[in-house]
Amino acid sequence: MKIELLQQPDSTIARITLNAGEEIVAEAGAMVAMSGNVQASTTLRQGKGGGIFGGLKRMIAGESLFLSVFRSPTPENTLFLAPKMLGDMLHYQMGKSGLVVQAGSYLASTPDVNIDLGFQGFKSLFSGESIFWLDMGGNGDVLLSSFGAIYEVPVKGEYIVDTGHIVAFEKSLNFEITKPPGSSWLSAFLGGEGLVCRFKGNGRLFCQTHNTTAFGQAVGTRLPPR
Amino acid sequence: MDIDIRYKPSFATIFLTLEPGESIIAESGAMIAMDAELTMKTEFNGDFLSGILKKFFGGESLFVNRFTNPTRKSLQVVLSQSTIGDIAEAQVYENNLCFQPGAYIASTPDIKLGVRWAGLASWFSGEGLFKLQASGQGTVFFGAYGGLTTKEINGDFIVDTGHLVAYESGMKMSVKMAGGLLGSITSGEGFVNKVTGKGTIYLQSRSIDGLVQFLSSKV
Repeated sequence: MKIELLQQPDSTIARITLNAGEEIVAEAGAMVAMSGNVQASTTLRQGKGGGIFGGLKRMIAGESLFLSVFRSPTPENTLFLAPKMLGDMLHYQMGKSGLVVQAGSYLASTPDVNIDLGFQGFKSLFSGESIFWLDMGGNGDVLLSSFGAIYEVPVKGEYIVDTGHIVAFEKSLNFEITKPPGSSWLSAFLGGEGLVCRFKGNGRLFCQTHNTTAFGQAVGTRLPPR
Repeated sequence: MDIDIRYKPSFATIFLTLEPGESIIAESGAMIAMDAELTMKTEFNGDFLSGILKKFFGGESLFVNRFTNPTRKSLQVVLSQSTIGDIAEAQVYENNLCFQPGAYIASTPDIKLGVRWAGLASWFSGEGLFKLQASGQGTVFFGAYGGLTTKEINGDFIVDTGHLVAYESGMKMSVKMAGGLLGSITSGEGFVNKVTGKGTIYLQSRSIDGLVQFLSSKV
């Protein structure tokens, strides 16, 4: 399997070349185009993170109930995947350390990657984001999408990110929801930064430069009521 | 201070390295990530009265955040805006710079932000009664929806409403119709700004108003 990201960062699309017998699982609605003999089917996934409960759990995390599976019966078939919004994509190689993914950022993965509903505890409830995150493990390739460009921060020690700008982070990192350093709780809210995530440890963190919530507010508040 | 604006023009984002002792003032909510050793302090956007004026007439928030590097090593803060689009930096010395509401993102500490009466003409063209004005000495960062283009003008220059992001404050603004009465209505240009004077203006290639109009018809 070969995965290439084209048109980065604003209109990213993934071109995936599948060999005979290879499969990729994708968020429902992510397929843009594919070779005529790629077999598409719908799944709830079996095994860990699969089944009807897996699907319902993904729904809670802001993902679709069903996943699409694209299977290539012959060599050299092409599949194009893209998210709905403008933005960047990240190709992550799942290794020893699992990955925690912000709800809504998942786009596709190879079959040996487990997708489960992660509960980051009540601390994430106060971050203004979903309390549920996707907890990914296993082996293989993962494709994530974002609104805005994605940049990587190799965290060594501590790093602070606004809660709306996290795409994913490796499980070797711990985080706590807190106020920005040097500010009081009152000023954190008055200053519009609200709560931030303080990451600790060593690992890779992926941030997005923009977020749909802020852009949605900038545009949505000016639209007439439906 | 090292300034690196990445992902221009669609997702422009400011990666700012602060040397020991340096600080930057940023619009409320502009910080997306930072080194954990930086400190953040929330302050009034100027004095109380101008803060209130800025909030209600300048389209800016009542509070700004000051990020300071109290350590002995270089630290980074990442700043962005809520809309996607381009970001520009401008040096302010003798020429003050005026912004359209919401364009301001950040500035160095010696920049003073004030509110300036922009006139009925500006209000009439949908640009607000007051303008945010940066004065003093230093660097100011501002953003746009779409790409940013600079244009040196000397004399008269016509800009469609909603596309003028910033201009040097020595210039005069007035509103006129794009053509005759009939022509202005039928061409879809309606009212336009006339900028008169000598200096630099910053134009955005798209406008949020245009996006809102398009989406409103689809809702």
